[in-house]
Amino acid sequence: MQQNNATYNTEICASGDTAELAKIRAFVEERALKFGFSEADVMKITLAVDEACSNLVRHAYHHDKNEQFCVRVETKGDQFIVSILDNGPTFNPLNVASPDMKEYFKKLKPGGLGVQIMRMVMDELSYIPASQTQPQNALRLAKNLR
Amino acid sequence: MNQFGVDHRTNSGIDCLYLRGYLDAHTAPQLESALGNLVEKGKNKVVVNFNDLDYISSAGLGVFMVFIEDVRAAGGDIKLSEMKPKVYNVFDLLGFPLLFEIYNADGEAVSKFESAGAENAAE
Repeated sequence: MQQNNATYNTEICASGDTAELAKIRAFVEERALKFGFSEADVMKITLAVDEACSNLVRHAYHHDKNEQFCVRVETKGDQFIVSILDNGPTFNPLNVASPDMKEYFKKLKPGGLGVQIMRMVMDELSYIPASQTQPQNALRLAKNLR
Repeated sequence: MNQFGVDHRTNSGIDCLYLRGYLDAHTAPQLESALGNLVEKGKNKVVVNFNDLDYISSAGLGVFMVFIEDVRAAGGDIKLSEMKPKVYNVFDLLGFPLLFEIYNADGEAVSKFESAGAENAAE
């Protein structure tokens, strides 16, 4: 389970640069393992977070290294929750329709699979746009420890 | 941090790319460049070896999608080999094994190209 240690970081921040993805994966991986997930589930959670952050850097930040986003890990009972907090334009990736994989393979075009992966490997996804009470957009990815 | 690398060697005249490290949205352009260099030279029979690859995201999968149509149209293919289970699981999650031939060893993939070439020559 997660340490109740004040020095144990539960949030990591990164710039709008895909070079930051590796450190975000390492951060999430370490915490998901500590929480008790199997290696296979840790890989799925890490992949989903990577996909969300990759989309954010590419589509919301357009690879602008001056922009920043943060990844926060929280646990609630058996649930492991990763929130990705950004300052970009409000865009709910969960409104993107899942691709029909048969059609996808027929067209043989790259891209558009990130949200599909998030849906497949996580138990709950939600998006809260920035508001007066919460200055950042928040994409929340949750997985239950079974 | 050296996250990703790709080496090129030929095996029985077939171009083989050896991947290592982490293939994500940051490093995928390196693979796209390596595959693109081969395809531009008309080398359409390529084996990609995953033995030293520890991670792949959809950005990595997308690189193969960029080239597969063109190489197949030219009578070639991109065949994949020696994938670790954790990398195979990502391919499998989205159904990519339906689209790509995945082998346990480079030799098997190379032989497939050779036998396909022999069949075409006999026709």
